[in-house]
Amino acid sequence: MLSFKIAVKNLIGAGLKTWLNVFVLSLSFVMIIFYNSMIDGWNKQAETDTIAWEIGQGQIWEKDYDPYDPYSLIDAHAVIPPELKNQATKGDVVPILITQASVYPQGRMQNILLKGIPTDQQLLDLPTAELSDEGETTPAIIGRRMSEATKLKQGDRVLLRWRDKNGTFDAQEILITKVFENNVPSIDAGQVWIPLASLQEMTGMTDEATLLVVGDDYQPVADANWEFKSIGFLLADMRAIIETKKGSAAIMYLLLLGIALLAIFDTQVLSIFRRQKEIGTYVALGMTRGQVVKLFTIEGGAHSLFAAALGALYGIPLFIYLNKVGIPMPAGTDSAGLPISSEIIPVYGLGLVVGTILLVVLSATIVSYMPARKIARMKPTEALKGKIQ
Amino acid sequence: MNHASIISIQHMTKRFPVGKGEFTALNDINLEFGEGEFAGLVGPSGSGKTTLLNIIGSLDTPSEGTATVMGQDISTLSHKASALLRNQHIGFIFQSYNLLPVYTVFENVEFALLLQNRSASERKKAVLDALEWVGLTDKMTSKPAMLSGGEGQRVAIARAMVKRPKILLADEPSANLDAQNSHQILKTMKALNRELKTTFIFSTHDEKVMQYLDRIISLEDGKVVSDVEKAAAAL
Repeated sequence: MLSFKIAVKNLIGAGLKTWLNVFVLSLSFVMIIFYNSMIDGWNKQAETDTIAWEIGQGQIWEKDYDPYDPYSLIDAHAVIPPELKNQATKGDVVPILITQASVYPQGRMQNILLKGIPTDQQLLDLPTAELSDEGETTPAIIGRRMSEATKLKQGDRVLLRWRDKNGTFDAQEILITKVFENNVPSIDAGQVWIPLASLQEMTGMTDEATLLVVGDDYQPVADANWEFKSIGFLLADMRAIIETKKGSAAIMYLLLLGIALLAIFDTQVLSIFRRQKEIGTYVALGMTRGQVVKLFTIEGGAHSLFAAALGALYGIPLFIYLNKVGIPMPAGTDSAGLPISSEIIPVYGLGLVVGTILLVVLSATIVSYMPARKIARMKPTEALKGKIQ
Repeated sequence: MNHASIISIQHMTKRFPVGKGEFTALNDINLEFGEGEFAGLVGPSGSGKTTLLNIIGSLDTPSEGTATVMGQDISTLSHKASALLRNQHIGFIFQSYNLLPVYTVFENVEFALLLQNRSASERKKAVLDALEWVGLTDKMTSKPAMLSGGEGQRVAIARAMVKRPKILLADEPSANLDAQNSHQILKTMKALNRELKTTFIFSTHDEKVMQYLDRIISLEDGKVVSDVEKAAAAL
């Protein structure tokens, strides 16, 4: 406690030099928390949206289904087992049939994934009620990204071509009944949603599905043809990509932190050189060399505590403001295929704040200790003369 | 010698490495200092005065022989033990005062007591007493940069004396002071020596300081060439 008191006194006494170091270090604090909270917010929003729009509480895949291999779709369909069909009737699971197809907006061919989904499902946020109005033309809904890519709008009709289960081509017009806004590219880009019953009939895959999305009340069913995939499994790739983003963002703030730590290191080296007489005086007054090393280490480390306080001073209002208005994302940010909304609400976890404080305090203390070790090798008689080079 | 011995130096030699060879700063020194002495080491620059003070103050160790201070052999003390010895029994006064620049006069004097873990009320009383001895109670909130040379040295005396050490070592205390200030601080130190029975050992070649000393030990090339007590010299 005594060393801390003396260190703080010395730091405050050092004036502008201290405050410059503290300011740069406080920027590191704020940047680290800002970047991580933004990415955590993105992660949370992406997971929430993906669960709400695509994966529910998990999925049951037909055993041949591989979302990364479109050719698997030819075989990846099977009759829904009766136990699952019962649950589907109650709305506890939502069967989805997927097949490859093509649309011809303005005469140009575009390959798509044609997905059939029950029109009365409530489990996913997809506006499938818009598919229930079955006139002569099969209704279809598409997402904003698909609409932008194909220039298709609500009310447009477009030619759809597909192959049935025997490989025979067929074609008909579909009517776009809704273009829905969403943050999940994986249910949007290159996809057209139509009623499940229509797709089953069009492909001759009566009562068949490729996968089933399950809800909270889903009762597990054991069937060799169907495999349950948990939320963790389904989100694993997305989480890995977001972690990678976190890693690349870390380069920026670690660079800033590095500059701040270099400034502290430099200050410490200069300080030990310039304050030799003071060091000698401390020893003459009865401090052990270890106590003097500790004092200088705490002095350097205390920069980080001041920085935390200063960072809190301007960082907390900034974070509260950002939490209210969100961080706007530029248009096209989601074109990489990751779920991202137009604005991200940052998430400030206790772990993030405590972890950041520990990281900065610990690294500032380490860089302060390194030059301070030199004091232990100083001869106090030389230090008192200020002769050490 | 009438005083009970608190410093005993026996056949002490101190050598420093210089290039590939060695320089002998002190050569076979034998000295005793008693409680309450007001003694000075005099001699030209390089005669070994400061080296001897440093060894007595346990800031350095002898190359040969022994230096026993307050019953403790300096050569065998660990860093911690020598720090404790300085903390509890030895005060230092330096030529350039060595005040801590970011502290006020009060805090500079208080510093020595902080290291002794004294209570706040105890520290306050002791600091005020010490500042009164040196006549600086009106400057207690000033920073060292705002003080004159004489005031700075008086703060250094207060800092050295506030813990009531048994031994006070003063290295050229008047070197940066004018005649008036030199006399003033020497009178202060003499009065403290009488009042507190602290042993004062000076390193000096200042005639003004020598006037006040009760014992003058002359060093030359690291050897004691004379050791004269004023009372004996007067006879």
